[in-house]
Amino acid sequence: MQRISPSRTPMAEYDASLLWTALGLLMFGLVMVYSASIAVAETSKFAGGKSSYFLVRHSIFLATSLVAGMLVFQVSMRRWQQVAPFLFTTGVVLLALVLMPGFGREVNGASRWLSLGIVTVQPSELMKLFAVLYAADYTVRKAALMHSFKRGLLPMLVVMLIVGWLLLHEPDFGAFVVITAIATTILFLGGMNGRWFAALLALLAVGFAGLVLSSPYRMQRIFGFMDPWSDPYGKGYQLSHALIAFGRGEWLGVGLGASVEKLLYLPEAHTDFLLAVIGEELGFAGVSVVIALFAWLVIRAFSIGRLAVKLERPYSALVAQGIAVWLGVQALINMGVNMGVLPTKGLTLPLMSFGGSGILANCVALAILLRIDWESRQMMKGQPA
Amino acid sequence: MNFATSPVLELTLPAWRSRFVALLVFCGFAVLAGRAVYLQGLHNAFLQAKGESRYGRIIETSANRGRITDRHGEMLAVSTPVKSIWAIPEEVKFEGPQLSKLAGLLGMPEREITNRIAETGGDFVFIKRQIPPEVADRVAELHIRGLFQDREYRRYYPSGEVTAHVLGFTGAGDAGLEGVELAFQEHLAGKAGSRRVIRDRLGQIVEDVESIRAAQQGKDISLALDAKIQSLAFSQLKAAVIRHRAKAGSIVALDVGTGEVLALANVPTYNPNNRAQLSGAQLRNRAVTDTFEPGSTLKPFTIAAALESGRITPQTKIQTAPGRFTIGAATIRDAHPEAVLSVEQIIQKSSNVGAAKIALSLPAESLWDMFQSVGFGAVPRLGFPGEVAGRLRPYKTWRPIEQATMAYGHGISVSLLQLAHAYSIFARDGGIVPLSLTRVDLPGTPRSVITAQTARRVRHMLELAAQVGGTAPRAQIAGYRVAGKTGTAHKQENGTYAAHKYVSSFVGFAPASNPRLIIAVMIDEPSDGRYYGGEIAAPVFSRVMEGALRLTGVPPDAPMRPVEMPAKGQEVEESI
Repeated sequence: MQRISPSRTPMAEYDASLLWTALGLLMFGLVMVYSASIAVAETSKFAGGKSSYFLVRHSIFLATSLVAGMLVFQVSMRRWQQVAPFLFTTGVVLLALVLMPGFGREVNGASRWLSLGIVTVQPSELMKLFAVLYAADYTVRKAALMHSFKRGLLPMLVVMLIVGWLLLHEPDFGAFVVITAIATTILFLGGMNGRWFAALLALLAVGFAGLVLSSPYRMQRIFGFMDPWSDPYGKGYQLSHALIAFGRGEWLGVGLGASVEKLLYLPEAHTDFLLAVIGEELGFAGVSVVIALFAWLVIRAFSIGRLAVKLERPYSALVAQGIAVWLGVQALINMGVNMGVLPTKGLTLPLMSFGGSGILANCVALAILLRIDWESRQMMKGQPA
Repeated sequence: MNFATSPVLELTLPAWRSRFVALLVFCGFAVLAGRAVYLQGLHNAFLQAKGESRYGRIIETSANRGRITDRHGEMLAVSTPVKSIWAIPEEVKFEGPQLSKLAGLLGMPEREITNRIAETGGDFVFIKRQIPPEVADRVAELHIRGLFQDREYRRYYPSGEVTAHVLGFTGAGDAGLEGVELAFQEHLAGKAGSRRVIRDRLGQIVEDVESIRAAQQGKDISLALDAKIQSLAFSQLKAAVIRHRAKAGSIVALDVGTGEVLALANVPTYNPNNRAQLSGAQLRNRAVTDTFEPGSTLKPFTIAAALESGRITPQTKIQTAPGRFTIGAATIRDAHPEAVLSVEQIIQKSSNVGAAKIALSLPAESLWDMFQSVGFGAVPRLGFPGEVAGRLRPYKTWRPIEQATMAYGHGISVSLLQLAHAYSIFARDGGIVPLSLTRVDLPGTPRSVITAQTARRVRHMLELAAQVGGTAPRAQIAGYRVAGKTGTAHKQENGTYAAHKYVSSFVGFAPASNPRLIIAVMIDEPSDGRYYGGEIAAPVFSRVMEGALRLTGVPPDAPMRPVEMPAKGQEVEESI
């Protein structure tokens, strides 16, 4: 406690910059989703030709997610830790349901969605959150056993293999990578034996290589990214159009709404390839704002985590850093894919891309982050969290 | 919970590990920022070129074809904007009643539409072209997926069949195929420009990048034609062809002073706005492309040649009795044997024997000179497709019988346009100016063919021919003095003259005191029992000339009283 120096001014109740950063990304996302989706909406049959189809939907998702965030903020971290195993189990069940005929909905050859009456949920998005909560809980609970492979590492490894197996069967390679990154990082931050960790990374590397080489579908995605211009109308089609979008944008962009790539050339412009449209319409300026906002988000999340460490709240600390890794890694991969430095996989840009489950999971995660910070601040003021 | 398993004591969260992970994420962001600089700031020219090749297109901007007007500016041919309906076969999708509604609007069977789309495949097929804009608008309201429209032009001829042969028409790509449309293709056609545009994936233009070459609009043409005279000429010709159950007919009206073609029509004709079923007969611009043996309408040229040579005067007497004249094996006949006729009377009564005797008194060369100097045997070069020269053989090959028959228009062939033009020398004082399809503001200098005196003498004879006592009293017009000559000739079939097939013609001008207009009429194969040019062609001439004189405001040069007609049985029959 002595390492924390009291501020001269009264401390704020919550982390305002984090809140504004998150809201900024959400609103920026809304504008760009609208811009990128107009052409798709006007020509797509299920949208009924209404240009505002995706705008309306995304607005509803945002409103719902913000309300959900406010409710979640009321939930204490103690409670989260209690329900984490249950949530994780629910997530696994949902992932299994997706694969069952009659429950899952197949789109473009992937069964990632679950129809629940009027809403469709994507369990893999929720699973990212549950994985953070569970991995942190696991690490805290098994702290004393972290030196034992059999009792410390193995159970987690088994659980993650099950989750990974389910995700790869959808297939949702992107979610698999993010969840693996979350679990591994939380174990690493939780003080796992360095040698085992190295071994685990090696194992993962071999596993990834195996997965990639075993599936022509994944192989194709890998090679398409290496040189999109060798087959620009086939495997490299999407990426080449994304790169063209960035090139057209130059420093300041062609102007909001003026993207040509979004006019049905670039597939998934309003979801996975939203950054390319930002790059075209708002140029390097727009792209760097997005990068800066995510960077700040990650900085804040790590700071909140470190503060929790100092306040000896390990669970909160791990959850906060887990969320940082989740949002940071997913944003990195998505942007990397957009710019052609990583192989194409189905990952959205957190807080910005179109998608209900994704936005909801992201907002809940941010509410938890704000809650952790709020509890820390309460403790520092000497009040019970 | 015992001491050893207390998480608070056991769990260590090393700060370096947090910093290490955070640093890794940061490095990632830094790499991305660097990549963005590379893509957007340094490598963008390459990427933009790639983009340009994907959705940049160079499109033609169509140039409007020039309009054709008559001499007073009345529209004869205009390009009106229409639409073409096309589809991307892969994307086209009909829902509910869309297909049947589309079929109804376009007037096509549903099956034809679906077949067209199914057979083509690929990414482009015309469903229907040249659709009126209002129909296209209603098609657009159906909101059919994958169905698009483009703007194009359609040539429209407001006067339809009346001006069909003069104007001709355009074909694919707006190129002139017939008539003035072909003759003035260079002038009328604009030059298409090109623009660089960006199209979206469905082919719609979303951005106009730059103009590479501006479209050059076609230039308008003001024809010599007078729409009112043309309309009158056409309707009178058509009526005569129907009344006399003729195979065909042509009429040409010229301005004496300028050589301008004021009217030119043929029957049968066609509607250039709807050329679904066209026969060759309808298409033929007979006045220009068909030649015929003119018959007696050529006699004035024989007389003029003889007058010029000084061998005869209008009063010189020629023995035409007994109405037959034998040269070798051939015999030339007159319809009504007369005795001694003056040169004037030979024209007035149209005596073949008289004309043949006069022709034989001349050297072949001087007759040939006369014919070729008024344009026979030479292409008129108006620019019409298929213009013919007619047949005028070199005089050195003429046998006496040929020289004799040529005197009254056999053994030589001309087009009606040539014939009308040749009469200029009598209508003017011996001179001739080139023909013109376009309006002439400054007439060229005439080329003198015969002396003014000869011209006036022949003019007087032609005036006599178009009066009671002549072959064409029906050519008369109340209030105007008229001059002209009838022609009635057997048609040639397979090298011999057909017994009951005739070409009836009349060429004349008015007012005779100061001629302004020349009109030539030709009726091919009248089959209602009558066939004399004076009966069939002269009345057409009279009506058209009367209307044309009034339309052009020519002052009368004769008392306004009903024209005299010969008593029954007193008509002068022309020699054939």
